[in-house]
Amino acid sequence: MLGATIEPALSEPQFAALVDALAADPERRGDLISFLREDHPHYGERGAAAIVRMRGWVLLAIARGEVPDDALIFILEELDTGVDPYLVAAAARALRSYPRPTAALAPFVMRALGNIRYRDEPVSFADYGEYAISPTDASAVSEVLATLRWLGPRARDILPQLEPLRAPHGGLPRKLRLDVDRALQAIRSPAPEDEPGTHSCCGTAPNGVRSMSSLPSNSRRGTKQIESIALQDQKGELITFKEYFHGQPSIVVFFYTRCDNPMKCSLTVAKLARVQKLLEVQGLVDRIHTAAITYDPAFDLPERLRVYGQDRGVRMDAGHRMLRVIADNDNDVLRRHFELGVNFIESLVNRHRIEAYILDAQGRIAVSFERLHWDEEQVVIRTVEMLKEKECGSGSQA
Amino acid sequence: MATKRKIGKRASTRKQKAATAAPVQSPENINDVRSLLKVLRDGSKPIDVRMAALQSLGAAAFSVADFDSVHADYIAALREVSTDSHEQLRRRALGILMRNKDGYAQKKLLDGLKNSAKALVPPEKALQLLSYDVHAGAYSAARSILKKPPNDEAKREALRLLAADTKSTPLFEKVLRDKKELRVNRQIAASALHSLDPAKLQARARKILLDKSDYSDIKATSLTALEQFGDDGSLAKDKTLLQSVNRFKNSKISAKYKQTARRFLSKYGP
Repeated sequence: MLGATIEPALSEPQFAALVDALAADPERRGDLISFLREDHPHYGERGAAAIVRMRGWVLLAIARGEVPDDALIFILEELDTGVDPYLVAAAARALRSYPRPTAALAPFVMRALGNIRYRDEPVSFADYGEYAISPTDASAVSEVLATLRWLGPRARDILPQLEPLRAPHGGLPRKLRLDVDRALQAIRSPAPEDEPGTHSCCGTAPNGVRSMSSLPSNSRRGTKQIESIALQDQKGELITFKEYFHGQPSIVVFFYTRCDNPMKCSLTVAKLARVQKLLEVQGLVDRIHTAAITYDPAFDLPERLRVYGQDRGVRMDAGHRMLRVIADNDNDVLRRHFELGVNFIESLVNRHRIEAYILDAQGRIAVSFERLHWDEEQVVIRTVEMLKEKECGSGSQA
Repeated sequence: MATKRKIGKRASTRKQKAATAAPVQSPENINDVRSLLKVLRDGSKPIDVRMAALQSLGAAAFSVADFDSVHADYIAALREVSTDSHEQLRRRALGILMRNKDGYAQKKLLDGLKNSAKALVPPEKALQLLSYDVHAGAYSAARSILKKPPNDEAKREALRLLAADTKSTPLFEKVLRDKKELRVNRQIAASALHSLDPAKLQARARKILLDKSDYSDIKATSLTALEQFGDDGSLAKDKTLLQSVNRFKNSKISAKYKQTARRFLSKYGP
């Protein structure tokens, strides 16, 4: 009756010791980046607070040396969508070890400030798992402001957003208003002469950070493993993966209704609704399918899916559905096929990334958007390309 | 039912204590809030004064415009007093922290459930507070408590916490079926099943109503589940069920249960 619980392979102190050992070894430091993937086995069967402590420690360990380009997207992801003060603080601190600061980083840091300023907490980075209980310790907001100061003139574009925080009633204590002043002073200082631009381009990710990847038709993975899995929609109707996703391009996002980060699942599903509106405007809503698939199928019963979608303005009909798998094993099949960035404690999600996919007319993954917020118009443009590919018949070689 | 009496008595004692506590001052600005934080942290101050400071801080979080500017200090102070020697202060501080899904409070509570020497609050309180955050990772601790509950309250809170666990459906079916189980626990099980597997609750609710020996309050709960969430078409055709509900209505039960039965029969009866 009371099922046995699977214990994680390493205790938290053992994990911290492993991270410290890797950080100290120049040959193996690069391995730490794999620890930032949500699906890493070390994160299975842990509570969300434990994951925060562990990922925070990994970020800090990476930041003991120069942060490599491969790690940058994980840091930006935390700044873009993180709402846990400890993790945001660790990401802000880690960014300061990146050797090539650019103007493109500033919007991410400013977004972090917006996400975290109303839930600031003291943080302590001295030892693994330590929580600050003294008001004199650093806080998430102070770390973010220190990072803006580090960016200096490269953060010029965010000046209009930062300046109001100097006001006595701007929601920051006097101590942090001094930090704002220091950041403003650094930002207004002259740019180094040998550095080209101090402006970010349209808030996009810096060069070298790939949150979108696309696969040419001849290198897309087949769907044989997944074709027969049964999906249930918001009305309780059953349909197989093949029946729903073959025959036209599709846009797929992943979410779960119990997600408590408003910058992730709730926003993702609301953005899917916006994508559907764009498809409607272009007269494509009947030629492209959309789906929001839950990570948490045992809890997200059809009625929950329907209400969650409805509350976020999602169009729901035969070609646009909120879906869940119904067989226990099928969640693992789905997870493997999409290589989902998610982990679980028992049946409950403990951490996940943002992820959206464009499937071609054979249901194969053609484009993926991961970690950073995706742009609705860009998703539509790429899906229209997929539609053209289908019409030209270039996607037919499996 | 002894449990209900105990709970009622405890609640009224709490109300009396609250009425005699130190007067609560309304903080008007951020300087008042800072002063209150000092009082809260000061272990040399009388406990009633510190409790009043905590209560005022709770009010200030809503009423003082600039409260966000001391939020980090507030969290730090709550973490500090959550290990205070005074249990009531610990409970209150941990409660506020858990409503904020605070990792520090979660860790302390989980550690206390695993090792009673480290417990800051009794197990039933720890489980209640951990249930505020579905991501706290407390299912395993709750299952351990259920295997060997230290008291009825701890068992009840463990069941409440597991009501969000999709793997606990068989557990709740068993609890709801078991007529020897405390009725409050059976009602928690009914509610949990409604959330986790509504079809299973519907099937079980029908069986309970057909069972002449089951308790009237559990039958009333089952009746409400069927009336509010059942399939109208099949309920109206279920003559055996309708006869059972009619019998229930005419039995020696309280007026409110009779009303529940009448409402059901007027909706589905001939």
